Amino acid sequence: MKSKYKEIKNIFIDTVDSESYVELDSMKYNYELLAESLDKPLKMILLFGRPGTGKSMTLNKLYVNLKNKREIHYFDAPILSEKEFLKSIYEAMSGQNIPQNMRVNFDGLLKYCQKMKGQREVVFLLDECQLYSEALMEKIRLLSDTRVVKFVITLHKTENEDVIAKEHFKTRIWEVIELSNASEEDLAVFIQKKLIQKGFVEVSNSISKRDIKFIHTHTKGNFRETNKLLYTIFNIYEYYDLHQPEKIDQNRFSKKILEMAAIKLGYIHD
Amino acid sequence: MINTKELEKRWYKYKAKMFTLFFLILGIVIMLPYLIYYIYTHTNHSEKSPSSQTPLVQPATVSKEDLKPSVNSKSDKPRQEPTLAPRHEEVVLAPTIPIVDMEEERVTPRHTKKHRVVPKKHLVKAKKATALSAEELRVIQGKDLNKEKPKINFKRSSANYIEVMTKKFKQNENPREALLLAKAYYQEKHYLKAEKWSLIANDLDKNSEESWLIFAKSKVKLGKRREALKILASYYTKSKSSRAKELIEKIKSRSL
Repeated sequence: MKSKYKEIKNIFIDTVDSESYVELDSMKYNYELLAESLDKPLKMILLFGRPGTGKSMTLNKLYVNLKNKREIHYFDAPILSEKEFLKSIYEAMSGQNIPQNMRVNFDGLLKYCQKMKGQREVVFLLDECQLYSEALMEKIRLLSDTRVVKFVITLHKTENEDVIAKEHFKTRIWEVIELSNASEEDLAVFIQKKLIQKGFVEVSNSISKRDIKFIHTHTKGNFRETNKLLYTIFNIYEYYDLHQPEKIDQNRFSKKILEMAAIKLGYIHD
Repeated sequence: MINTKELEKRWYKYKAKMFTLFFLILGIVIMLPYLIYYIYTHTNHSEKSPSSQTPLVQPATVSKEDLKPSVNSKSDKPRQEPTLAPRHEEVVLAPTIPIVDMEEERVTPRHTKKHRVVPKKHLVKAKKATALSAEELRVIQGKDLNKEKPKINFKRSSANYIEVMTKKFKQNENPREALLLAKAYYQEKHYLKAEKWSLIANDLDKNSEESWLIFAKSKVKLGKRREALKILASYYTKSKSSRAKELIEKIKSRSL
């Protein structure tokens, strides 16, 4: 026997997939700002915010939307080795595969870029840039100075660290777009849109404002945390649906299950 | 699959905690006005009797110096102690004839302290009578004056007074009324009652010097001289009151 809640819970699995991108007002604004920045003669664009604020999702959405319109490449996982990174850049720009036993010389790559000045403009989207070394960041900057390569980078903003204050970002970032957690209204739209997109209108309608408030209070509007909480909620729903269906009301979102999920994730303590 | 049973147990525990917390807060909210009222009334009471005084009946260590009937006391300058304030109040409580005090009661509001100025003896000096005294007149006229004296029923008026004051005290529990009752009973030679009322007065106002003195005087009248001395000595060590000292001397010399 299969429960519908299995399908619902899977909607909230945290993925960087343009299909699961939910367009919210705040997200739309940031996306448009980013798209506009790409048209400006900027070298580097920084997209930053706390984990789970939708940086990767925005980057992915940008890539999906622009991949057929301009030269754009998306590095979703950071390439930590300098050799591999330079190789990936060259391969993306030249369209050639470099044999395993060969490596890309940085000076050569720089000259290769300079030769194409005024002819091409290639955009690289780099996710999780906080993992790149100082030396590699310096090379990224030098490459962006050629004005042939443009980088859009994402960085985690932590409680104790202001990434903008870091030495290598002080003078090199030209555009900064900060993503923040969702408001209560945005979060309601986020949940409802996700459910409606997959056809679960009645489930979406059963979630009250009070439930949204509870979710927002405990997740602080963070998309990743919200996904995690809703996944746990529908996981519990699935269990009851299969084993004790009398315990759930199909028309009403259960406060008990909501609190049970919050206990499970440690938002509230027993 | 998620362990729902375990999670349910934790949820029940959480709910129990939340209910307890809710009722605790509710209890605090309900109790708060009472608590504020309690604190408020107690603070007001302590403001009336600011300094922490020892209760009236308390065993005290009496130094020999305190009890010694100082011969040089007249030549010694009285110490400049903050006993002036109680002295002023003493002026208010001074009337020994209850009727006078009742009249004053009617005129002055309860909370205003009126300091009656006691005229100094040297300011008004009565001239020596040049006319014949009543005794001389009686001898001349051959009449017995004592028989003609109008009889004033002091006892009756005093009893009324006590009744009125007791009623009044029951209404407002004012230390002043208690003190006046103690005085009245002392006058009436009801020393046990005088002792009781001075104790009540002292309990309500620890600063009342008069209550200490009447209490001690009643003790003496009840034959508890040693106890009276002990109490007065204890009070004297604290207040350095010249009146207390004077009374100690009186008791010692058995002139009370």
